[in-house]
Amino acid sequence: MQNKASVELHMVRPNQAAGARIPLVDGVEKVTGKAQYTADLEARGALVGAILRSPYAHAEIINIDVSKARALAGVKAVITGDDCGVAFGILPISELEFPLAKGKLRYRGDAVAAVAAVDEKTAQLALDLIELEVRELPAYFTIKEALADGAIAIHERREGNVERKVDDEFGDVETGFSAADLVMERSYHCAEVTHAHMEPHAALAEYDVERDLMTLQSVTQVPYYVHLMLSQCLDMDSSRIRVIKPFVGGGFGARTETLNLEVIACLLARVAGGVVRLKLSREETFLTHKGRPETDIIMKMGLTQSGKITAVQAQVAQRGGAYGGYGVITILYSGALLHAIYDIANIKFEGQRVLTNTPGCGAMRGHGTVNVRFAFESLLDTMACELGMDPIAVRRANLLSPEFETVNGLKGLSYGLPECLDWVEEASAWQQKRGAMPVGKGVGIGCSHFVSGAGKPVHWTGEPHATIILKLDFDGGITIFTGASDIGQGSSTILTQTVAQVLGVDYSRLRVIANDSAITPKDNGSYSSRVTVYVGNAALDAANNLKQILLQAAAVKLDCRADQVECLGEAYQVQGLPNTLISFADVVAQAIKGGGTINVKGTYFVPREHQGLGKQRGAAVGSTPGFSYGATVAEVSVDQDTGQISVDKIWVAHDCGFAINPMSVEGQVQGGVWMGLAQAISEQTRYTNGLHMDANFIDYRFPSIVESPDIEVKMIEPGDPNGPFGAKEASEGALSSILAAVASAVRDAIGIEMNATPMTADRILAKLIAREKQAKRQQPRKQEAR
Amino acid sequence: MEILPEFELHQPDSVATAVKLGAQTGAKYLAGGTDLMPNLRHGLGDPISLIDVSGIADMQAIENTAMGLRIGASVTLQQLVTNPLVLANYSLLIEAANTIAGTTHRHHATVGGNLCLDTRCQYYNQSEWWRKSNSYCLKYKGDSCHVAPNGNVCRAAFSGDLAPAMLVHGAQVEIWSAKGGQRIIDLDDMYQDDGANSLLLKPGELLVAVLVKPLPTFNTGYRKVRVRGGLDFPLAGVAVAVQGRGNKLEQVMIALTGTDSRPILLKGCDDLCGKPLDDAALKALERLVRTQTKPMRSTFIPNQYRSKVAVNISRRLLLDLLMR
Amino acid sequence: MPTNSKMILRVLVNGIAREDLIPVNMLLVNYLRDVVGVTGTKTGCDGGECGACTILVNGEPLLSCIELAARVAGKQLETIESLAHNGRMSTLQRSFHEQLGTQCGFCTPGMIMASEALLRQQSTPTDQQIKTALEGNLCRCTGYVKIIESVRTAIKLNGDV
Ligand SMILES: Cc1cc2nc3c(=O)[nH]c(=O)nc-3n(C[C@H](O)[C@H](O)[C@H](O)COP(=O)(O)OP(=O)(O)OC[C@H]3O[C@@H](n4cnc5c(N)ncnc54)[C@H](O)[C@@H]3O)c2cc1C
Ligand code: SF4
Ligand code: FES
Ligand code: FES
Repeated sequence: MQNKASVELHMVRPNQAAGARIPLVDGVEKVTGKAQYTADLEARGALVGAILRSPYAHAEIINIDVSKARALAGVKAVITGDDCGVAFGILPISELEFPLAKGKLRYRGDAVAAVAAVDEKTAQLALDLIELEVRELPAYFTIKEALADGAIAIHERREGNVERKVDDEFGDVETGFSAADLVMERSYHCAEVTHAHMEPHAALAEYDVERDLMTLQSVTQVPYYVHLMLSQCLDMDSSRIRVIKPFVGGGFGARTETLNLEVIACLLARVAGGVVRLKLSREETFLTHKGRPETDIIMKMGLTQSGKITAVQAQVAQRGGAYGGYGVITILYSGALLHAIYDIANIKFEGQRVLTNTPGCGAMRGHGTVNVRFAFESLLDTMACELGMDPIAVRRANLLSPEFETVNGLKGLSYGLPECLDWVEEASAWQQKRGAMPVGKGVGIGCSHFVSGAGKPVHWTGEPHATIILKLDFDGGITIFTGASDIGQGSSTILTQTVAQVLGVDYSRLRVIANDSAITPKDNGSYSSRVTVYVGNAALDAANNLKQILLQAAAVKLDCRADQVECLGEAYQVQGLPNTLISFADVVAQAIKGGGTINVKGTYFVPREHQGLGKQRGAAVGSTPGFSYGATVAEVSVDQDTGQISVDKIWVAHDCGFAINPMSVEGQVQGGVWMGLAQAISEQTRYTNGLHMDANFIDYRFPSIVESPDIEVKMIEPGDPNGPFGAKEASEGALSSILAAVASAVRDAIGIEMNATPMTADRILAKLIAREKQAKRQQPRKQEAR
Repeated sequence: MEILPEFELHQPDSVATAVKLGAQTGAKYLAGGTDLMPNLRHGLGDPISLIDVSGIADMQAIENTAMGLRIGASVTLQQLVTNPLVLANYSLLIEAANTIAGTTHRHHATVGGNLCLDTRCQYYNQSEWWRKSNSYCLKYKGDSCHVAPNGNVCRAAFSGDLAPAMLVHGAQVEIWSAKGGQRIIDLDDMYQDDGANSLLLKPGELLVAVLVKPLPTFNTGYRKVRVRGGLDFPLAGVAVAVQGRGNKLEQVMIALTGTDSRPILLKGCDDLCGKPLDDAALKALERLVRTQTKPMRSTFIPNQYRSKVAVNISRRLLLDLLMR
Repeated sequence: MPTNSKMILRVLVNGIAREDLIPVNMLLVNYLRDVVGVTGTKTGCDGGECGACTILVNGEPLLSCIELAARVAGKQLETIESLAHNGRMSTLQRSFHEQLGTQCGFCTPGMIMASEALLRQQSTPTDQQIKTALEGNLCRCTGYVKIIESVRTAIKLNGDV
């Protein structure tokens, strides 16, 4: 290793990396166009894959004739459900999906067959030549239709089209309601939404015929789960499979389960004996879906005169679409996350996840909680108004305190919601504005929370929850090997900062190699906001292990005991003796003497009491090392001619425990709250007879830059004992709060209660007109009475 | 789909050559392509040849003539909104043009392309797979309409933003063809209320220029209802020109877009003039809008909404402009 | 049947003169990505709806996914790859990097090229002008807040020079 002669050793200070606003470690690639996403990967001679999609919503397959397609010149592979008889799914209890439909077609867009051809045009021609013969079945597009008596089961193994029913009561809600001064019940409805990550789905599969090896590169957030499912569906030993995640253009949950296109690409590559690139169109990406289900909620709550919540009862029905996906977890989260935000002794939850002939739903940012939180916070707002209480005060009347355990056994060691409320109240000038702005303008509030990683992994194996490997070699460079999937949220950056903080070294020494199953350690993936806490803690552990080695080596060099060595990052010295200073290079040289290249590992296990293994039913979902919290105030204007809402400003305080990278936290919170805002005001996927009406960016309207408001973020940092440096998650917690905040602000602005999302202009205008009509009807009556 | 149909591309440099090429069967004019290209990518249309008219000098000029301001059809929206002659007397055109699509689109989208914009419908602006799965529709490849299943006329909505502004400015259009040479007609006469055939242009006819007259004594404005602040097509758009004194209207022109298969130049506006713009007059305005526009279920957003806001924004704009 | 379904395209791509035999119906974005091999330009939608494919043609922003390669013959094309000078990021790129104007990065090339077009025309745009210039560029990650801050930072840095 070359000693950096220019280093002025006496100036050396350990790098204060934790808490620094550094740019993304992979940002340069992104702004220069060098970043390679799946569709950008060079693959000479790659065949073009394409998928034939079902025009039917529900049908029995009688025959698929692919002979003409196979005969077409330039076609190298044609496959159907017959080519893979193994079902897959993210949950072992719900493996309902085949890579290509078998026996039945379950939604308009379902994958029927796939081809690989020399070019796009040939692939398209081949699809056109496939003849599909079916017997159409009655199709169910709503929860009601799917549950109706006599409805045919969409999946044989799911009698009555119910994927999961949940019925949990903690405490005793009836007693709770009878202790209340005010009990109210309201129905809420949230339209289905989808992730709409900017990068369309894509996969590149390469099959090595001679060696029987499969390599897949794809847009996934969970390479490990994809690996498992490939092994299962391809019936290949997992050692023969390699999964690589290149740059990924967003995910938001869409890619937290294996997607059929990933398996299809591999199946095609194996049949064709080569490389297949599968790029889905935007429309197909919409049809692949896995988004947030349409949800009906009946929420009931009891409050005392002073605003204390005595009981909550929620009935939640989710239209899950054609496959199980994460559905069971989604509905369980909906119930579990009624807890752990406020101090509530009695909570009853009745949930139902239903299968329908629409694209399958899955996990989406704020998994399971967003719609229920909208209903909860909205009802709280309505009841506060009814009691004549300030909506912030009513929340203050129900706060938890740190180191809580909820009635369903969820534990949290830190709780920054009170400070979140204080900040948004002050920053938004809430007290001056609420109820005091001119008609058409208003402010509203909402709160929410989320887990920092699911305490129990989807596939329980007994392995650590996360593993990191660090390599230090003669060159003095430290390589972080991680399986954590950076999909834009900045996880590689956080890991770099974590290691830099422990070792005190310059960032320039660190590089990250991520997501190649042949190289990097297994990681469960980027979902449930687990990476910062889980992989961060593993990185912390690994860095500490490496530091011990370096301290030992330095001790030898400095001729002192290891505990007398002071690490200054780029240099080491005997504690308090600057004249003994030696460089990092010297320490590394010493450390690799004899043993050579240093490889250390760090792991993380979620503490047992946060794994949800306790006595309580239901705590398996919702348990986490730490809950993040958010409070949001939105200021809106409503145009009463058009019913249009414009959101003028958002203030959001987020308890992220500790911000390892404040800039990154701000960015995540802004993006998360904005995504919630989009659901609140304009996003929805709609179907006509099961046909997707919004499978493009003209009709699926997430906000453009023009109407997107400024979002001011405050980080609340109480520090969580379970988090690396006290950190918790920073991207999902505040999202759910904005929906109710907007509804609350609309009420403040025009006195109208909005119980459905999106709060579109036509809905608001319809309510304004209805109110006007009612006022007119009542006026003459009043006159008569006089 | 990224594969386009196979076609020949011609890039003529004169109107004469363009219309000659345009007279061939299967020929389609291409200007900015911001409407045509997405449609072709969706399998809407299978032209044998594309006649690129964006490079024809005579179609790119903006000049004052005896008949008013002559705006070449291939003038881009970006050129339009920065042109000094337009800036001087036609702020309404600028206001409307600036609401069209996104800035990047406007650098290439043209005046002619906007006036000749294909009509839009939730059952039409979809992929080939989608439309096939829905057995197509009247407007293209099919034989029934999903919006008005009993009707035999397509109800797709004309969604161009410039047309109402142009209509208020008394626009005429200069149309050329290989056989007939030049004809000049009122822009209003270029449209008919048939979504599958909204342009009264014969095959091969080329819109070469628009002629508009200034409205120096009028206050003008354009208001557009759409979900997002950018990108979105109008759910309803209204252009208004008002000349008034105090709260009395002396002269008013109103035109709407997004509501029907053609832009609507509101008739009967004279009845609103010569009297104060009071509740009765506003009611009368509402009747005019309601009777002359008829939004259909061509968008997922309810047609009643489009109908209601068409009235509301007309009223608001009229009031605002009169008070200005 | 079309007779001239192929043509020789002569263009300047990022300062380099090229001559390629291409099908007439080839989309410009496919020409750039598949023929030239510059993959910085992204496609996020099925045509004209998202701005990810924005490049500059003779200095003006253009959606390369709804343009024919054949139509840019003789013109100067600039993609995201052209902005860095000898490996150094441009001010705009640096600002997007340092102010976190990029998260997943997929909208970023289009976002930066549209911003570049704006700043060449107007060196000190207002926030409103920035928003207008980027109205056709969708981003799903950032909520746009830091994108605006990035452009603002670039304006400031340019002004300081
Ligand atoms: C995301 C998106 C949003 C949009 N939003 C809007 C919007 O809000 N408002 C709006 O008005 N438009 C909108 N558009 C549509 C389109 O961008 C504009 O209407 C644009 O002005 C069309 O002009 P162009 O030159 O690109 O037309 P082209 O696409 O070149 O042509 C459009 C049609 O006109 C015909 N044509 C073109 N020139 C002539 C001529 N001289 N004579 C005869 N026929 C001709 C073509 O054959 C074609 O059928 C949007 C498009 C997209 C992709
Ligand atoms: S209005 Fe009817 S015919 Fe016209 S495009 Fe729509 S569905 Fe087709
Ligand atoms: S890819 Fe060109 S606009 Fe979306
Ligand atoms: S940074 Fe991901 S889409 Fe903009």
